[in-house]
Amino acid sequence: MAAVRRIDSFESRLARFRIVNAWWIRLACYALSIVLLLGTWQALGHSFGVLFVPFTTTMGRLWDMLQSGPLLPGLAVSAKLYGVTLVINIVVGVVVGLLLARIKLIAAAFEPYIYILYATPTISLVPFVSVMFGFDFGSRVLVSVLISIFPILIGVTEGARSIPRQHLDVAAIFGSSESQLWRDVIVPYVTPYAMSGIKQSIALSMVGTLVAEFFLNPDGLAAVLLQGTTIVDSGWVLAVTIFICAIAVGLVGVGELIERYLVRWRHTAVG
Amino acid sequence: MATYSSRIGAAPAARWNWGSGFITRERVAPMVAGAVLLVVWEVWVRTHLPDFVARPSGIAMAIPSTIASAEFWSDVAATLGAIIEGVAIGSAAGVLVGVAMGRVREIDWFLSTYIRALYALPLIALVPIVILWVGYQPAARLVIVVISVFLPVAVTTADGTRAISKDYLDVGKMFGARTLNFWFGIALPSATPFIVAGIELGFARGITNAIAVEILASVNGMGMSVFTKSNELNENASLVYVLCLAIFAVGIRSLMIHFRHWLAPWYHR
Repeated sequence: MAAVRRIDSFESRLARFRIVNAWWIRLACYALSIVLLLGTWQALGHSFGVLFVPFTTTMGRLWDMLQSGPLLPGLAVSAKLYGVTLVINIVVGVVVGLLLARIKLIAAAFEPYIYILYATPTISLVPFVSVMFGFDFGSRVLVSVLISIFPILIGVTEGARSIPRQHLDVAAIFGSSESQLWRDVIVPYVTPYAMSGIKQSIALSMVGTLVAEFFLNPDGLAAVLLQGTTIVDSGWVLAVTIFICAIAVGLVGVGELIERYLVRWRHTAVG
Repeated sequence: MATYSSRIGAAPAARWNWGSGFITRERVAPMVAGAVLLVVWEVWVRTHLPDFVARPSGIAMAIPSTIASAEFWSDVAATLGAIIEGVAIGSAAGVLVGVAMGRVREIDWFLSTYIRALYALPLIALVPIVILWVGYQPAARLVIVVISVFLPVAVTTADGTRAISKDYLDVGKMFGARTLNFWFGIALPSATPFIVAGIELGFARGITNAIAVEILASVNGMGMSVFTKSNELNENASLVYVLCLAIFAVGIRSLMIHFRHWLAPWYHR
């Protein structure tokens, strides 16, 4: 009878099959996926030849390039651009973000243009930037900042705008001065918004750094990557890509640590 | 008396109305600021920079001749066509993989290492290896756009379908839902806002990365023309292309917001 048909979906069967808290299944999944990928890579690498070298060859190349190759000097160049970009993003993003929240007429006047600039693919502005400011470090920083500043800027503005009136009115009733208002109300309230913007900007600054290095006279890690493409050396390109991927994963991890700290902080702040 | 809340935070709209009706300070201010920006740009370029540098009047004059050329339309068709095709493929694949990851945790564990590592990687770093494999071809652009869209959509769909309230699942079970009903009848609709957010992010990244591939692999398209026109010292025409890209990007963004309101009216953010 259809009415008493046993309901046995794939999900419920899977649930019965699962053992509660089977950490080893999870481990096995991770291990299996890594073994399968590396095995496939190795096998394909042996059959494709020049265009796709095996995993072991790639790792060997990576090791060689770390020992004596262009990788570490390239990393130093990129790290400098990255650091300058991130610092400018944080300082300018927070200051301008607060100003936009504080001075409403300026915000109303410039906000549409900020959003348009945010939506415009910054890469397409590179020729314009290079004509105006040349190809030196300053224009690289400009391109890189244009790509990665907006999460902080917009986050801080929206955070400062969402301060509840009651907080501000209570501060007013207790007669707090402008500096007390900033120290006790505005800064603590805006900090989580700023931090989540900074978290995004930590990852985006790397995108900005690479874009600036790719398109304004190749330099740093991007130049090392392009060098491999010109000499059609897939081992070289794969090794550098993996190296960049490892750095990116590390930076995203730092961002997530900040967020985890933040979430805890937010909970205690709410009470 | 000026209270603190009038200094920072949301202002009552009435404070900013001169008179009444359509013309308010909030509407006038952006126009004034835009005019000031354009004038400063124009004057600065005329007085300080060589003649070929783009300036507003030059761009305005370059619009008719650029739009009239056949090259412009073939560039637009190539780039926007590749982006739209890539978004379609990438988001379909991303939704399928994302639902599987969100609903079956073993699949999630199996795939998440790679998806998260690639998601963290600035995709522009993948362009050289894709060029090496696919060649200096338009296909390289399509591949990069597909990857740029697939990753955010897979991640957001997985997050959205994983966090479904147990009530929905219980109701589904009571009405005898089968696995596909669970996945595509319950999980997917309730993850709609997440998926649209993923597609929106993918669109933005896809546009940027498509341009990047065009320049690095010398594939004809709008991004390529931005750079070649600039190299030919025809910056005004180059900026017309940038303007079109910006209009496309802004249009897609607002379209996606409407889309989310339409598909997921219950979701306020």
